[in-house]
Amino acid sequence: MHLLEVENLTKRFGGLTAVKNVSFHIDEGEMVGIIGPNGAGKTTLFNLISGFLEPDSGTVKFEGENITGLAPHKIVNKGIARTFQIVRPFRHLPVIANVMVALKSPRGARKIEWLKTMERKAADLLEDVGISELALEPAENVGHGTLKRLEMAKALATEPDLLMLDEPFGGLNPLETDFLTKSIMRMHLDEPSRGILIVEHKLYALMKIIQRVIVLHQGEKIAEGKPEEIAKNKTVIEVYMGKGM
Amino acid sequence: MVKSYIRRAYSSFTAHVFDIPPRLMAFLFLLVLLVIPVAGLNPYYLSMMIYANVLAIFAASWDLLVGRTGQISLGHALFFGIGGYSTALLFKFFGLPTWVTIPIALLIGSSVAVLIGFPCLRVKGPYLALVTMAFPIILHSIVKWTPLSYIFEGEYGIRRLPAFFAFLPIRQQRIAEYYLTLILFFAAAVIIYKVANSKTGIVFVSILDDELASKACGINVTKYKLMSLIISGLFGTLAGCLQAHLLKVSNPSMFLLTWSFTPIIVTFLGGIGTIYGPLVGAYIYYILDKYFLAIQLPRLCKYFGVTLPGEFEYAKLLIFTLIVLVLVIKWPRGIARFTTDKLEDLEEARDLDERGPRIWKRYERKKK
Repeated sequence: MHLLEVENLTKRFGGLTAVKNVSFHIDEGEMVGIIGPNGAGKTTLFNLISGFLEPDSGTVKFEGENITGLAPHKIVNKGIARTFQIVRPFRHLPVIANVMVALKSPRGARKIEWLKTMERKAADLLEDVGISELALEPAENVGHGTLKRLEMAKALATEPDLLMLDEPFGGLNPLETDFLTKSIMRMHLDEPSRGILIVEHKLYALMKIIQRVIVLHQGEKIAEGKPEEIAKNKTVIEVYMGKGM
Repeated sequence: MVKSYIRRAYSSFTAHVFDIPPRLMAFLFLLVLLVIPVAGLNPYYLSMMIYANVLAIFAASWDLLVGRTGQISLGHALFFGIGGYSTALLFKFFGLPTWVTIPIALLIGSSVAVLIGFPCLRVKGPYLALVTMAFPIILHSIVKWTPLSYIFEGEYGIRRLPAFFAFLPIRQQRIAEYYLTLILFFAAAVIIYKVANSKTGIVFVSILDDELASKACGINVTKYKLMSLIISGLFGTLAGCLQAHLLKVSNPSMFLLTWSFTPIIVTFLGGIGTIYGPLVGAYIYYILDKYFLAIQLPRLCKYFGVTLPGEFEYAKLLIFTLIVLVLVIKWPRGIARFTTDKLEDLEEARDLDERGPRIWKRYERKKK
């Protein structure tokens, strides 16, 4: 049984088919990347899996259970957490309270162990992503890099079985990218059974950490395989660079 | 020299007077309110204070729903009217005493919150504001115009409701009512403030900031919105009950838009999203409206020999609006929050003074 199984997923926006018959699967402990040029339907695919959009056809199965069309918060409580491409912090709240919102969800609350308060757990999560010194700062005052990591802490707060990161490196400088790459690797080592799905533009950072790549183009899956194979794949190069390379 | 002396005197004054933690400040505020009737206040002012207490409860409940949860409601008069009418109807048909009717009215109020929650919380933003605005208007016409209105005694409303302390002489009644409303005001303020600053309150604010992101955190947004609406509706109903028994009548005007907009004005005066803001705002509202404009302004005009025309009653609203406008533009975050911000600034400055290096101070002195 796969951790996540996506079968023939299709989503249309009016005349435009954003995602066309996409099928793939993720196993436990696998790190999978989704790449593709702008408008390839990567984020739409994310929204379909996490329940923010309802697919026109096709199914999403998580741990053998059909979760197609379920409300987003129910999907999170089943164990799929996601981050957003554009950061969405709760601006009126301090950084630590942002994480506590996620800990207040049924799954987050379940994972708070005995004798560990919600505050303690939230502080630990901030420690994990390396922003614990900014814990009491209002989220509207902290920088973009911090908010990216805060997004990650929020997603990790529910201790998901599948973590979906939507462009985690977007808008980060090389140093921050490097740090985040390392923390994703560490996260993977900490919880080896957790599947991680990453959508990314920065191929250099991505290709180092993932085990399998799925390439989308105009809503269709055009290739799938190991990063080294994909880098040499003719169709993929054509899609990215144009014909005649 | 004189200037520097004044400045020094002022800074030592602020350092000593404003050197009060917020908790103590709230306590002092309550203490002042507690001794007011003992100080032998004019009964008119005392009754205004009573209504200010009721309005403070009402506005604080609006602030929890809108300032903290972000569910814009332009129809909070619904709960006000429901409170007034349910306690009045229970008295009229079953002859129940006040201390029984009010808890039942609170139950009715919260069930109404659940009922309107299902249609209302599906829509967002301006649509939500419009939907909520519709409910009190519908009920207003039902109690006033429709054939059903004979139950509600139509335009005049249900009259001769029992007063809270009918067994006391009239003067003591006012004072007793004042203390009753003050206690309820304080209890409501503490409960709403505690809820707003609890972990559930954090979730409320997350819904205000970004509903989608809080869904992505696994929060059942509808549940929390409904929770906020119920708590808010409960205290709104309480305010309605109190108002009905204080005026001894519950009439259709309780459903009017005025009662939907007054808490908004009050909350914006005090500071939206603070919970303590509307409490202060309610008093400012009554001082402005019922003391300054209704008593002091005519007196002032008389003093200067200006005769006010009969139409002045209408102009009063205009003046009031202008004053509110100026206050809101001057302090967009509210008067209460402005004060707390000032206090925090002072505290920070003092902290720097204490912790900062001595050299810095010497440097400052040299510069002078």
